[in-house]
Amino acid sequence: MILYEILHSLAGPSSLSDQDPHGWRTPVDCVRANELCAAESSCSSRYRTLRQCLAGRDRNTMLANKECQAALEVLQESPLYDCRCKRGMKKELQCLQIYWSIHLGLTEGEEFYEASPYEPVTSRLSDIFRLASIFSGMDPATNSKSNHCLDAAKACNLNENCKRLRSAYISTCTKDISPTERCNRRKCHKALRQFFDRVPSEYTYRLLFCSCKDQACAERRRQTIVPSCSYEDREKPNCLDLRNLCRTDHLCRSRLADFHTNCQVSFQSLTSCPGDNYQACLGSYAGMIGFDMTPNYIDSSTSSLTVSPWCSCRGSGNMEEECEKFLKDFTENPCLRNAIQAFGNGTDVSLTPKNPSPPITLATKTSNESPPLPDDINDSNTIFDTSVITTCTSIQEQEQKLNKSKEPSLCFSETQLTTDIMPDQKTFVDQKASSNQHSVAGILSAVPFLLVKLAL
Amino acid sequence: NRMKRARARHKPCALKELEVTVSELGLGYESDETVLFRYCSGTCETAVRNYDMSLKNMRLKKKIKKEKVRARPCCRPLSYDDDVSFLDARNHYHTVNELSAKECGCV
Repeated sequence: MILYEILHSLAGPSSLSDQDPHGWRTPVDCVRANELCAAESSCSSRYRTLRQCLAGRDRNTMLANKECQAALEVLQESPLYDCRCKRGMKKELQCLQIYWSIHLGLTEGEEFYEASPYEPVTSRLSDIFRLASIFSGMDPATNSKSNHCLDAAKACNLNENCKRLRSAYISTCTKDISPTERCNRRKCHKALRQFFDRVPSEYTYRLLFCSCKDQACAERRRQTIVPSCSYEDREKPNCLDLRNLCRTDHLCRSRLADFHTNCQVSFQSLTSCPGDNYQACLGSYAGMIGFDMTPNYIDSSTSSLTVSPWCSCRGSGNMEEECEKFLKDFTENPCLRNAIQAFGNGTDVSLTPKNPSPPITLATKTSNESPPLPDDINDSNTIFDTSVITTCTSIQEQEQKLNKSKEPSLCFSETQLTTDIMPDQKTFVDQKASSNQHSVAGILSAVPFLLVKLAL
Repeated sequence: NRMKRARARHKPCALKELEVTVSELGLGYESDETVLFRYCSGTCETAVRNYDMSLKNMRLKKKIKKEKVRARPCCRPLSYDDDVSFLDARNHYHTVNELSAKECGCV
């Protein structure tokens, strides 16, 4: 809270207006952006106009109206235009409603891929991968017989929060309501969303993405989301129909757009994932569970790792090609598959040291966009994240080869130390800013990491 | 060593926990899933009430003969943990309630 105030007093009133003289906007969430807009009479009237323009009309009809067009142009300069939302934030639905109220007017509407309304994932992916690797390599003697999905269930049962929310969705999703209806799907989905929103991913991902060597394990993995209630249905709809249904709901639409943003096959990266960010892809996959587009493993085979929403391309007519393309982003997606396998095996992205440019651009981008809100302090530790992986994984891999006992926390904190101290790593804050207020912000935001490090 | 064992036996009533598989619970479910089983264990010597002493004396004086009575407080759960769900060996989910103690006391 104090940090937030300091940052704002440093940034001065310019950051509260549409744009500061350097073209540097304050990145804010859409709820906040809406408040800022409401405080300004010109912005709020344009926003009202635009919403009226969009109501019940398509984009082209709207743009034919001069007043609507003018409103749109003005709003593109306002903080509303850049605003994003956070998964599981307070007022998430309200935030997404604001986001789509503008963005549906800006895009063509029926685009195949939509941009994600969520902030880029900047969490420390190495942490959970490290956990997975510790668990997967935990007991070498029983390794051939061990069932990682069973281990994941054990870990969850021994954690109070995970156990409670897991039992909550399982009992909800397995409760018979009448002889004809197997369960209350709506309640089941809600309980699943609560589980994936409120339980740390080190537990939920282990249950969802555990690696399997036999069918019993793979069947347990498939059963994780209680598919008989949350996934399967009497009929399999057409995938494009299902997509349209999903797009009528702000949350489902946002989660799908987030999946398309973070799991879209990229040919520029080694892992096939955008920015080599497995965590972002796994997170947006898990983010679709509990909505109409809920994905799951299609069978309990151990060899082919195929996931899909409950839909098919039957009855696509002349849209067959588009439907197949949509479905293949789930069923034949190397990014998603690599991410799931890497998590299951406990291996992280291993980038060759001679190619450090993609992770650095990613870190630059995300750190510029993370807002100086108080609850963001813990999440803004992007600085050391992706660029650290190389060193950390290579050490872990060496140790795996040598079959030595591992000390991954040491590995992580050491690399953290170097990146935090390295001065050139901090320059990202100053990149676009010409005044020194932002470098002050950079130093301030580094304080929590230094404290964390001291705690280690 | 015997001293240690004796002291352990005289620990006051408290919550203890065990990691067990669902099959081991003996409830008829077959599952390798591990759950946390919390139980109440310990003595209740300090919790003897006038009730207990009077009841004991009534029994000694043969005023109570045939009935089954308990003249000592007993370490038991005061409340139970939330439901526990698990997947069994035939891939069916089950939810059991009041499996595990949450709070113990001499009652």
